[in-house]
Formats: sequence, C-alpha cells, structure tokens
Amino acid sequence: MKRPSELAHEEASMATLVELTSAFEGIASMKIAQTKNQVLESTKFFDRLWKIYSQMRVDSLFTFGRDVDEKPLIDKELFIMITAEGGFSGDIDQKILKLVLEEYDAEKHDIIVIGHHGAIQLSQRGIGFKKYYKLPAKDQNINVVPIVREVQQYKAASLFYAEYISLMSQDVKKISLASAVKSRAAAGEDDDAEVISEETYIFEPDSFAVAAHLERSMMQISISQLILSSKLAQYASRFKAMTASHQRADESRNDLHMEFNRSRRAIKDQRLKEIITGIKKSTAGAGN
Amino acid sequence: MGDEKQVENNAVDNIEKGVNMAVKVYSPYKVYFDGLALSVSAASKTGNFDILPKHHNFITLLAPCDLVVRTDKEEQVIPISGGIMHVKADDLVVFLDV
Repeated sequence: MKRPSELAHEEASMATLVELTSAFEGIASMKIAQTKNQVLESTKFFDRLWKIYSQMRVDSLFTFGRDVDEKPLIDKELFIMITAEGGFSGDIDQKILKLVLEEYDAEKHDIIVIGHHGAIQLSQRGIGFKKYYKLPAKDQNINVVPIVREVQQYKAASLFYAEYISLMSQDVKKISLASAVKSRAAAGEDDDAEVISEETYIFEPDSFAVAAHLERSMMQISISQLILSSKLAQYASRFKAMTASHQRADESRNDLHMEFNRSRRAIKDQRLKEIITGIKKSTAGAGN
Repeated sequence: MGDEKQVENNAVDNIEKGVNMAVKVYSPYKVYFDGLALSVSAASKTGNFDILPKHHNFITLLAPCDLVVRTDKEEQVIPISGGIMHVKADDLVVFLDV
C-alpha cells in the first residue's frame, strides 16, 4: 500500500485536474451559447436577403452567382469537408471522413478540406485533396470568398459537416450547396410576396448583376453557417469529452481520498498493534 | 411608458409625412444603425448618390465608401467595404459584409 503522503500528493494533483476539466467544460458551454446566438442572428440576416432574391425571380435556377461569360465549368463535383483544426473533436472527423470515402471517386470528385485534422486524416489514407484551408479561429466575419471562387468553377458542390443536435448528440451530414442555400430560405418563403423587376425598381448596375451578387452573398452566408454549425458540434463534442473527463477525475480523486484514509488507518492500526504487543510483553515480564 | 408610445407615434407620423425614413445598416453579426434618418449617402460603381424620403424603389451594389446616415440630431459615418442597399417605401436597408 502507498504511503499517505504519496496518496495526499496524488489527490492534490487529481483535484487540479478536476478543476481544469471543470474550467474547460465551462468554456465549451459558453462557446456553445455564443455560437448558437451567432447562427440565429446570421439566419435572420440571410432570410431578409433571400426574400429580396426570391422576389426578383431573374432565373428559376440557383446559378452559384456565376457571371454569364465565365470559363467552362469543371465537369466534377467538389466535395468540401469541414473538420476540426486539432484533434480534440472526438470521433466526428472520422465519421465525416467515412461519409466522404463512401462516395469519393477520384475521377468524379475533387476535395477541399477545411481544418488541419481532416487534411492529416486524408493524407494518412493516401487521398489527395485540391486545397486545404485552416478552420477559422474566430466565429464572426468568416472569410469564405476563396471557397466560393472554387465552388463557382465546378458544376456541383457538396459539403460534409458536423451538425449540432444537442449537447450530448452530434451527427455528420452531406448537403449539396444549392440545397443548403435553399433549405435555409425555405422557412422564409412567401408566395404572396411582390415581384421585384426592372419595371418596379431601379437597379444599379442591373438586375442580373444584383441577382448574381445576392447568390454569391447567400452562398457565403450558407458556407459560413455550416462552418459555424461544425464548430458548434465540435464544441459540444469537446464539452461531452470534458464532462466525462471531469466525472472520471472526480471519481479518481474520491478513490484516492478513500485510499489515503485507509492507508492512514492502516498505519495507526499497525502502531496500535505494536503498542498493545509491547504492553502485553511488558505486563508478562512484570508478572514473571 | 406613455412618452415612449408618443415618440413612436411621432416617428410613424414623420415617415408618413415624408420627413424621415426607417434605416437599418447591418451585417450578419452587427447592427451599425437602426432608426429614423433624414437622408443616406453612399457610393456605387457609377458614383456617389443620396437617398431621401419618397425615393423610388431601388436596389444597388455598394462600392467601398463612407456611408453617411443623417438624422435630425447627428450624422453617422460608417466606413464600408461594399454591400447591398435596398430601398422600398421609405424603408432603407443596407446589408454589409456581403
């Protein structure tokens, strides 16, 4: 059995770990609340933009904000993987990678990775990717313009991302970018809305340029929101891991405390035994 | 409480009389201005322009410029890198960071 002083030292270390995991748990929880609020604000903004766009009805197709005279499209689908920057995302990145690999065909798809962890995972499996971007550290004003430029070169694009369901549950999903934009707008659809046309509005420079700009903007907001959604799931996954670590550390500390008490008691018992033995011997000696 | 209601009613009256317009300047995560204004000045690719109450319905892509919102009390200058302006029935909205 370990000595009480050793056990006391271990218990103190474990107490520090309990405090640390508790602090990380708190940070993750705060980040979740902030990010959820940002997604909500951004959604309201998007809804208003979509309303203008849908009232314009320039073209029934969502054309990814491409200009009419742009060069021919790459006849492939672009896969965009949103993963974590580090390795603290639980098993989410593995699930995303599995989902990508189920469909990936080098002849038909190109991959862009957001997040260092995903890039490493792909490299370890010997799968090449076109570009890698760091997962933005900040949660606001995420610059997705370079990604939108890439998307515009392809005939189609899909995003693979983690979705926050609840604190204890996260899922991985695939969504085509055009559907991502439209699904975000579905709630704000209004069939009775007025038609915005060149007869009722002055456009500067013209209605097609405005519609293309709106499409690019909504695509940027949608990608930003999916990145935020992934970060939210990662924070939740981290929160879950920290909660489990906190519980384990707390249990270990309690076990150590019990062991410390047992060890102290054992030493006391041993001393008591020695004293009693000594008294017995001395009593026996006096009797002789 | 009664005073607040009165101010709100006056604001609505002023919009109806064509004195003011309701203006909101915001990005997905920040509101820069939300209230009544006498005029708004900005720039598009073709040059500078002013929007006054009773302006025709208008949608424009904004160029990098200083967006100026004038109210009856002050003049607020908001440097912008671009955006979209939508004007309809004395309701002006500027979407920034898009």
